[in-house]
Amino acid sequence: MARPTVLFLLYSSLFVLTQAFELNGKISWNDVCPGYKQLGPARVILDTGEMSGSVMKDGSFSIPNVSAGTYVLSVLSHDHWFDQLRVDVQDETTAEVRTYVAGTPLNPPSSFLLPYPVALEAKGKYNYFVPPESFNLMGMLGSPMMLIMIFGGAMVLGLPYLMKNMDPESLAEFKEQQAKMSQMQNAMTSGDFKGLSALMAAPEDNRPAQPVSNKAQGSGKNRGNKSRKH
Amino acid sequence: MFGTIRGLSLALFLLFSATCSFALHESDVGVVDWHKRLIGVPSAGSLATSPVFHRIPGRNTQSVVITATESNVLGAVSPVNGSLVWRHVFQPEDRISRFNKRGSVVTSLSGPGGANLRTFDALTGDLLLEKQLHSPQVGLLSEPHHLGTYISFGNETKGSPELFVLTNGHTVQHIVGGKIKWSWTSEDQGSLVTYSNLVATSQSIFAIGLAKSFASYTLHVTALSPATGEIISASHISSSISNGLTDFVVLDQSASQPHIVWVEDNTLKFIELTPALNAKPSYPKDKLFSKIVDLGLGSRGLFVAIKEDGTGHIMGLNSGFMESIKEFESSGHSDRNTESMYAGGLDKNETPYIARVYWSHTLRLVSVELYSPYHGDGKGLLTGFSFAFDTFQHGVVSHFTFDAANPQPYQVLARVCLTTSTGSIQLWQQDSLQWVREESLANINAVQFVELPEKLSDSSERGEREGFSSRLGRQLRDAKDFPQYLMRFIKRFATGSYESASSAAAAHTTTSGVPSRDTFGFRQLIVAATSHGKVYGIDSSNGNILWSRILGLGSVVEDGAHVVPIENKMFTVKTVGDVNGDAETAGPGVPELVLIGKRVLKSGATTGNLLYHFNALTGADATTSRKSNVGLLQGADVADSLVDAYLLNAEDKGKVVVILDGDMKVHLYPDTPSTRSLFSSYTSSFAVPVRLPEAAHGQYRVVGHQIASSTGVSKKPEFSAYPAWTLSLPEGEDIQSIIPATHGPVASIGKVLGNRTTLYKYLNERMFVLLTEPHSRSSAATSLSKAGCGLYLVDSVKGSVIYKTKLPASPGGSCNVKAVLTENWLVYHYFDDDYRGTGQSKGYRIVSVELYEGKQPDDKIRSSDMTSYSDKNLDITAHAQSFVYLHGVTAIATTSTKFGITSKDVIVANTNNKIHSLSRRFLNPRRPVGRKPTTEEAEEQLIQYDSLLPDDPRRVISHRYEVANTRQIVTSPALLESTSLVFAYGLDLFLTRVAPSSTFDVLNENFNKMQLVLTVSALAVAILITKPMVQRKKLKEKWYQ
Repeated sequence: MARPTVLFLLYSSLFVLTQAFELNGKISWNDVCPGYKQLGPARVILDTGEMSGSVMKDGSFSIPNVSAGTYVLSVLSHDHWFDQLRVDVQDETTAEVRTYVAGTPLNPPSSFLLPYPVALEAKGKYNYFVPPESFNLMGMLGSPMMLIMIFGGAMVLGLPYLMKNMDPESLAEFKEQQAKMSQMQNAMTSGDFKGLSALMAAPEDNRPAQPVSNKAQGSGKNRGNKSRKH
Repeated sequence: MFGTIRGLSLALFLLFSATCSFALHESDVGVVDWHKRLIGVPSAGSLATSPVFHRIPGRNTQSVVITATESNVLGAVSPVNGSLVWRHVFQPEDRISRFNKRGSVVTSLSGPGGANLRTFDALTGDLLLEKQLHSPQVGLLSEPHHLGTYISFGNETKGSPELFVLTNGHTVQHIVGGKIKWSWTSEDQGSLVTYSNLVATSQSIFAIGLAKSFASYTLHVTALSPATGEIISASHISSSISNGLTDFVVLDQSASQPHIVWVEDNTLKFIELTPALNAKPSYPKDKLFSKIVDLGLGSRGLFVAIKEDGTGHIMGLNSGFMESIKEFESSGHSDRNTESMYAGGLDKNETPYIARVYWSHTLRLVSVELYSPYHGDGKGLLTGFSFAFDTFQHGVVSHFTFDAANPQPYQVLARVCLTTSTGSIQLWQQDSLQWVREESLANINAVQFVELPEKLSDSSERGEREGFSSRLGRQLRDAKDFPQYLMRFIKRFATGSYESASSAAAAHTTTSGVPSRDTFGFRQLIVAATSHGKVYGIDSSNGNILWSRILGLGSVVEDGAHVVPIENKMFTVKTVGDVNGDAETAGPGVPELVLIGKRVLKSGATTGNLLYHFNALTGADATTSRKSNVGLLQGADVADSLVDAYLLNAEDKGKVVVILDGDMKVHLYPDTPSTRSLFSSYTSSFAVPVRLPEAAHGQYRVVGHQIASSTGVSKKPEFSAYPAWTLSLPEGEDIQSIIPATHGPVASIGKVLGNRTTLYKYLNERMFVLLTEPHSRSSAATSLSKAGCGLYLVDSVKGSVIYKTKLPASPGGSCNVKAVLTENWLVYHYFDDDYRGTGQSKGYRIVSVELYEGKQPDDKIRSSDMTSYSDKNLDITAHAQSFVYLHGVTAIATTSTKFGITSKDVIVANTNNKIHSLSRRFLNPRRPVGRKPTTEEAEEQLIQYDSLLPDDPRRVISHRYEVANTRQIVTSPALLESTSLVFAYGLDLFLTRVAPSSTFDVLNENFNKMQLVLTVSALAVAILITKPMVQRKKLKEKWYQ
């Protein structure tokens, strides 16, 4: 009775051998993914997942029945990402593991061989959320717009006092400048570019009455041009 | 017209350029979305897979209910609150054969013949071991699926028990610590004897099987050495078993040798198993039993035997003698009660209990009788209770299991876990219901989103003729609420707590029971019909079930028959907007749905189809004759054989369900003269593709049908469909599926380019997607080196192919192409296997195709209102670009919004159990390749082509949720144009909202009202301060000028 049993044992072990390759590997825990609990249920698949193996509690996995061929190995993990690998299974006993960057051509293969059994580790953890924007008084006051506003307010309040303390000569110069500025501003707002360029081109021109007449002239000219065109 | 388009697109452009990213805040989790983790309906057919209580030893003993399910999930549910403790989702090809538990581990066998062995931690579900015992190709496909597999536990080593595993019906393997210690395969490879049980004792391992002999089965036992797996002895037991597996039980008490008990010619026989297998069968006299029931208490030597009159006896084996321990009184066949079900259970001291459960027709109660043979001072103790089981809500009890507690000597408490025919799992603690899990929601066949009506204001008080005094009184009464209103208004103004796009979709409080919508229409009703013959109304704001109805069997009432809704054949025949008569007086319309189901008998045969018409808000019957929402939802028989059904939506003229039967006759619902005349006015444009089997090759073909009307005998117009065209496909290609286009409002008929020319969209409403696969049986497919899958865009009126492409089949030869078509945009996903050439790579691809009219921009053929017979119909340009996507996809859909102005995102469910939203910007098929976008292209928001689609986790709308095995994604517009509701179903249910172009129509919740208030108040303060200063200055100027 013992003999046939042994024979059958042999037969079945042969049967297992003539099957295909069993791809083994292990996920090693690191800072990104310190353990099985953090990893959650994960599966290691070749290509579309027709051949696959689940990750066991110790991090190891095995994909049975891999026939010879070239495969892309990827890890289906919900919260962690892993590198994809290129696996070439030559025959029932040997497999070559190479790095592979997703989306790049498979051929020619990378010359750098990784050790077998496959060793993997998590490269990162997915972050699904954006942090909410919280209200921050200092941040609000520190923004350039606010700074300009505050500076402007301070200038409005502080300018008369500053002017009071200035010597008359520079005061006159300042007033002149200011008049020109306001003139320029007027020209800008009324869309009188000619007047503006004239102002820019003639810095000596400093009659105080000019802005009004200039503006009226310029805009009138403009209108005239337009009507002539049509 | 085009000016408006241009203006609109410009406005949208500005909107999009302002904020184009959409992402979720962590605080929104559970507010804007919900996720229901399910395990599926328990496979209650056999002890090998049905639910069972398991108490896990440890410092705090904890119980779980473990079950394998029809959805191929092994899961554990907490009996305390019904929450899911853990689950393991098996691959579809790896069907669970059986599971067994011992101590802290659960072991499962799955795949053909039990090819794969897995061991789980019973408390956490951690996978401790996964091992393939034999290749799935050599696995024995058996029916029932658990036949020929068995798991038996041996001694424990290092906390995990040794395993003896029977697979394929003829191989026994001894597994210690994940390694196969020995393996034994029967000499005849299972051709004569199929083993089905395994009993492990310290001296030998008994493999018990059945040998097929003339007209019956004979028991066969092989004893193996536990140490080496060598055969000690093998023997046929002279027996004749007629029903196979159900007619024998194995009792493996640890105290004595195991026994086999079987029924033969209405007598009970049993035999002791010794390693030498030399015992003789013995049969106690006058023990006339016709059936035996395995309680799972074989290790206690207990089982139930049933006499011919149906009376159940608890049988026990005591020191070599078989005796009836207890007879269940009045458990015989009766008109008042259903047949009894028996089960065994344990308490925390591992004392066995036997329970009998039956439904009483007269009392309408489920009664439980519980017998504990070792209590009551050793004489046995019978207790019982009844509870009101709502049979119109949950059908009938199809399985039960229980565990018991014995707090006082004469008191026994039980927790009963029921599986019902509608697929729910219920836990009853004595006679009070603890929780219900509606697991049939893992098998949804058809889904419709239903918009809810607005909350009815209290206008009913206001009479038509109201006198002055009564009016004054009413207004005074109303005025008492004014201070509260004022307070609310001030509070709202100050804090700025308006409803935003990410606030919870809680409805305004309603007084009536009818659900009502929220401000932005995020709260809708999801009506889902499951394959277990039940319809659910689910609140889209939180996933709660508002109502549920069982589908009645109609005219043919037969035991064991049920109604299976036909895939996606649920139609909204009336919406909130459809109001009868005057909208002012009638109020909002009541949405109504029509569902078509087929009647499936117990044998699996289908007879007839039924149509159910019901109120979507309450589930009440909507037909005028039966207006109730108690009892079963009754349907009307429509057609004996059904080819397809459609909804004819004639906008404000009404909606008609069109049913095409096997004889190509058209049935209308509702069938009135007005619907007939309505339908006859649409017959010219009504064209449907039908997938028909071809007799010759067993192949399918697509035949386009149109409608012809004739006047029948009763002078009523009759309609029938006639074939108009047949699509000729290349040889070896078989039709896989027909995917209709997703219809929705089209906001613009063209796309304005950066150089102010327009690409006019090819908007053919009659387009549908046709997927083909290599024909399995045709010789052409096998002879071809690599038969591929095909994807066609076909016009349903003429049958002309508008666009076609050939895709590679997966290595297994199957086609797994997922496609979605909306407006002029087709997106499909497939696996590209071709890597041998240079520059090629294996991987998943998503291809985006857009169809535009004419050859160049500004070409226009008015495709949206062109007839199919026009020769200009095929004058189109297709822009296509292919992208690499890192994951497999199980479902694909596009978002839909109320007016279609918002850009459409593609929502995919990937194999990584995530729901991912792919931005339209990345899927634009006109992205410039290999160069930077020009300023004109940049104005169009085009970005440089990159073959890899970014895998941005912030676009994973299901975030941390593991949404397993999604089969379909349905989207529905909210009242806000920017927002679309996304509902994914499969094993799990998941709902969220997405805003593809960000929420441009609501004030952004990031809008800082605080900042605004502070700035305004700061300015006010500044004015207060500067005003006197300025006045003083002016005064001064007047004095000194």
